[in-house]
Amino acid sequence: MPDDGSKHTFNTLARESAFRSPPSNSSTYPILNEFVAPHIESFNALFDDSGLPFGDGDGRGLLSLAIQDIDERVVFDGVVQSGTGANYKGRGNRLSIWIEQVSIARPMVPDRDRRATERKVFPSESRERLTSYRGRMNVKLCWKVDEANQTVRSVTKDCGLIPIMVRSVRCNLRALSSAELVSHHEEPEEFGGYFIINGNERLIRYLILPRRNHVIALNRPSFQSRGSSYTPYVVQIRCVRPDQTSVTNTLHYLANGNAMLRFSWRKQEYVVPIMLLLKALVGASDKEVFEGVVMQDYKNTFLIDRAELLLRSYKIYGLHSSDQCLDYLGDKFRVVLGLPEDWSNLDVGTWLVRKLILVHLDAPRDKFRMLLFMLRKLYAIVSKTCSVDNPDSPQHQEVLLPGKFEKLEEALNQVRNQITQDVRKQEASVDFLDDRYLHRVLARVNFDIGARLANFLATGNLVSPTGLDLQQAAGFTIVAEKLNWHRYISHFRCVHRGAFFAQLKTTTVRKLLPEAWGFLCPVHTPDGSPCGLLNHLSRTCRIVTSPLSASHIPTLLIAQGMTDSFAPSVSGNQNICVQLDGRIIGWAQSSVVKALATTLRIWKTEGIYDIPLDLEIGLVLPSEGGQYPGLFLFASRSRMMRSVKYLVNGKDDHIGSFEQVYMDVAISPDEIELAISTHVEHAPTNFLSILANMTPFSDFNQSPRNIYQCQMGKQTMGTPSTSLNHRTDNKLYRLQSGQSPLVRPKLHNTYAMDSFPNGTNAIVAVISYTGYDMEDAMILNKSAHERGFGYGTVYKSQIVDLKETRGASKSNAAPTLHFGLGRDIRVEPGDRQHPCCQFLDLDGLPFIGTRLVSGDPLAAYVDDTTSRTCFVKYKGDESGYVDQVRLLGSDAGDSELQKIHITFRIPRSPVIGDKFSSRHGQKGVCSQKWPVVDMPFSESGIQPDIIINPHAFPSRMTIGMLVESMAGKAGAMHGLAQDATPFTFSESDTAIDYFGTQLRAAGYNYYGNEPMYSGITGQEFAADIYVGVVYYQRLRHMVLDKFQVRTTGPVDPLTRQPVKGRKRAGGIRFGEMERDALIAHGTSFLLQDRLMNCSDYSTTWVCRTCGSIISLGYDETTNIGISKLAGPGGVHCRVCRDGSNDGDTRIRSILDQNFNPGSNGDITITIPSNHVVGGQAKGSELDIVAVPFVFRYLCAELASMGIAISLQVQ
Amino acid sequence: MSQPQQGQPSSAPNPTTFLHPPPRQEMEYLCADCGAKNDIKPREPIRCRECGHRIMYKKRTKRSECMPRSASSP
Repeated sequence: MPDDGSKHTFNTLARESAFRSPPSNSSTYPILNEFVAPHIESFNALFDDSGLPFGDGDGRGLLSLAIQDIDERVVFDGVVQSGTGANYKGRGNRLSIWIEQVSIARPMVPDRDRRATERKVFPSESRERLTSYRGRMNVKLCWKVDEANQTVRSVTKDCGLIPIMVRSVRCNLRALSSAELVSHHEEPEEFGGYFIINGNERLIRYLILPRRNHVIALNRPSFQSRGSSYTPYVVQIRCVRPDQTSVTNTLHYLANGNAMLRFSWRKQEYVVPIMLLLKALVGASDKEVFEGVVMQDYKNTFLIDRAELLLRSYKIYGLHSSDQCLDYLGDKFRVVLGLPEDWSNLDVGTWLVRKLILVHLDAPRDKFRMLLFMLRKLYAIVSKTCSVDNPDSPQHQEVLLPGKFEKLEEALNQVRNQITQDVRKQEASVDFLDDRYLHRVLARVNFDIGARLANFLATGNLVSPTGLDLQQAAGFTIVAEKLNWHRYISHFRCVHRGAFFAQLKTTTVRKLLPEAWGFLCPVHTPDGSPCGLLNHLSRTCRIVTSPLSASHIPTLLIAQGMTDSFAPSVSGNQNICVQLDGRIIGWAQSSVVKALATTLRIWKTEGIYDIPLDLEIGLVLPSEGGQYPGLFLFASRSRMMRSVKYLVNGKDDHIGSFEQVYMDVAISPDEIELAISTHVEHAPTNFLSILANMTPFSDFNQSPRNIYQCQMGKQTMGTPSTSLNHRTDNKLYRLQSGQSPLVRPKLHNTYAMDSFPNGTNAIVAVISYTGYDMEDAMILNKSAHERGFGYGTVYKSQIVDLKETRGASKSNAAPTLHFGLGRDIRVEPGDRQHPCCQFLDLDGLPFIGTRLVSGDPLAAYVDDTTSRTCFVKYKGDESGYVDQVRLLGSDAGDSELQKIHITFRIPRSPVIGDKFSSRHGQKGVCSQKWPVVDMPFSESGIQPDIIINPHAFPSRMTIGMLVESMAGKAGAMHGLAQDATPFTFSESDTAIDYFGTQLRAAGYNYYGNEPMYSGITGQEFAADIYVGVVYYQRLRHMVLDKFQVRTTGPVDPLTRQPVKGRKRAGGIRFGEMERDALIAHGTSFLLQDRLMNCSDYSTTWVCRTCGSIISLGYDETTNIGISKLAGPGGVHCRVCRDGSNDGDTRIRSILDQNFNPGSNGDITITIPSNHVVGGQAKGSELDIVAVPFVFRYLCAELASMGIAISLQVQ
Repeated sequence: MSQPQQGQPSSAPNPTTFLHPPPRQEMEYLCADCGAKNDIKPREPIRCRECGHRIMYKKRTKRSECMPRSASSP
């Protein structure tokens, strides 16, 4: 349905028919499936049958690759049998365990349930039953005992239920058409890409990571603190294995010219001299290393010096051959790595180099060349011949995609540990040859990977011993809130920079860099703390998810004049390195490299030689102090790519964020500079995200206003879903009277915006009318409101789970709580009928449509043990209607009702204080609903729905809103859907003229002004009023959720001050600054009222002699009975009276300590006489004073520490 | 409930009600998947008789025709 060429219509009929009968062979909006493709495909890539192209690999999924990478675990039983030789030096039998196969099934009904006709489980059921959408995972575990002619034996272990991504290859909704989706209770536009965990939709969000397999140079002063002689210079490479797990290798430059390679293993960092690795990899001779570093640049004394230093400093190790180095490495790392005990040091060393050093390369020779390249780049930045790279730039970034697995390895470790534990215990039962023993061990190991994955998805916390080479451990997943369509779809396009950067004080990481052009939207980022860290992909930016075939490229390039990488002598300062995915494939002179790059680009756009279109050709030519030169080809996954037009042949070309920096892309065809521009954008709006594209005439607005609109579009009360009755979200906002906007960009149709309307077209007059439109307030036409303008509904839900209710039996036995009314409830109608029967049916569930207020019974259940009926109360301070009652069964459908889900419908018509906004960042609060008779009217009798103040425009410069107003007015008159795509008008062809002409044709003023008449006096206004049609959104911030008011209410028991918090009916803090304001104004009565009388006013006895207030509280209530309270001789201070009783001691102590009886405390506070509430007559030495209660509390606390406070009462 | 060890205390609020169990009222629900009407008694498993689905919706009815209720309720 999108874009069927009819430019000026609303496609009303087409939409209507698509709603009535969604297409049964395709999707209504195919583009929606495209933009979540990175999510889904990266999940699909786990499986062998992913449906992705094979690329260079053999089509195996990441899961298969990952288990191939998990090494076998080995244990010994320590039983030395006489028969089994001494091969293992007394370690006994050798048992090795490994994983052979992993399979994940589609979500299915458990086998226990035999009656279900539909064996598949669909996402809508998981959502409605508040369970997770998951499929069973099985692992084939193999083991073998060496010796004793043992064969390989295996067992299939159940690993629990793995959450499955909706619409992925393991999902039952895979590749269904819109019609089929609707029949499975989904929306016709459902595109998947998320997981369902406990009924919530959660998705793994994109994270920015350093570009894989590419050496970047860094200069960070913090590296100096890593040890003595460390310098800030570093080159770093993030290497990615075929199964997409990564290892970062860092090469540090030391002040003495040496270099150290740093890597981490199980979150612990280790540093190894580079020479040791160079030797270990290929057993390179000193000459080889020297030539490799210097590369015939013998005049470069800097380089020669460093190379010499490298070689000299290495001499102390005395290790010459490859085997010696590996043996040395293996010896040092043996304890850390935890490899099989029978491996030799050499084996361990080889394993270390293979698994942790430049893991994207297999061959040691390739690793050797790459290390030399890193070394050369390191020396280049130290000698300032090239610049450092900016790790914040998208040029050096890629996107972390959901779909990582490593929990299996953990499980295998557990098996091993369990066995070793048994061996240590010297249990007699340990017998490797016995199958039953192993089964027993396996039974003790927690294989529930599914639960751990579900936990990861539910919390976003990564619990992993290796840390997965990531910088953060939490915040990987977010809830895909279905607040409205805008918000929902932008969840799937957002990219986060990483939680680590959020705490950074510097703002450099948040900066909008020119390199991001076309990949990250410059407009669509929130303001506030996540600003610049949480970005959104631009509309045309794609992420490469399928493996590409690039293995034939080196041969092609060699045929084109590239020198092969194994050429013995290549001059380093004349040749440029050619790399493919972090592997050096050759060298060539810069003129040749230039030609190579152009040839490759023509080949890939034309599709010659099977060069993939997503190949990135980053050509960095030598420059004075610029980026390190090279021809960097990238064919790996998770790169950001976007589509532009290649001018040479007019074909579509995909360019990446690395190469774009060195390319000349014209924005529009008339910007093309001959012999400079190579590419041109398909559309000038392609650099905007989907949401930013939805702002009409955004090129007329001041840029921050477009940012605000991107945020407000996501907070709008719109249409969350078209399958509302199958949704179980906690809270849904719905606009009842949504409309298709009159003025909208072309892409509005493409992205299914009309299926989920987000606002209403309103007649807006820009006039200062009643004074109620001051300061961004707006006046709503009362009649428009009564006709349903902006009418909305909030759906809230409550779950009653008897299993989690107090009194439920914790065991799995038959439940003791049952929904229903017990015999103690009289249900027969009449006067003696139980009041709950107004709300509850005989099954204990509420009638649908019942109006509930806070505290009304919501459900009734009978407790078997007491045989009493208990009620669940409706919590929520607003009255609502029961909209739906769901009875949720168990997984297998074999247990009785224990859990219900109730949806409440709370009507929310607009009230004064609700927030509205146009699509131009112009938000305002409704200040009055003005009666229609008093609203101004135009000559044709039209009265505005909304009045806004003209002052909203001059400072904000949202000209787009003015243009929209004109365009909407003309569109409404002519019946046109006005195209509001930005960058379509120009200085010579202005929007004002285009829409002004239309207005004039409709009989209106060319500029959109109209004479208007006051609704109160009937007189014409002196000025013509700007009236037009603007699309208005109702924002979800409503007074009913926000108002906070209290006169009296709950107080904190300790301080007796009012509590805080809206939920608890608390107050709003009257803080220091507010206090300062009152002091400055001299409003002392108000100050007293706020801080004392309305807060913790209290009265207390104070002794006139000693000034102590440590006594029982004097309360207002006891005031009446003072005479009763007072003992013989009136109220008295016991301390003072005791003292006066033995006056001698008292006088003596006074003399001793120079004691002042008037103020005998450590701290003295003077209380003026007007604070004395009730002076005591009759010779009593106590007064009553008013003090804040916290003061009494403070005195008590101080007294407990031995500090006395004395009050001087005058 | 009939088990003696559960020991209903004799001081239960209204011991007379223990004598006759309440009528097991069948309620009609709608299957969330196929929409079929299902009569489910209390303490019966939640499962559609037609398709075996495990979610039911409560019907929007006051059931006035089968059990007369006081019409005076506001």
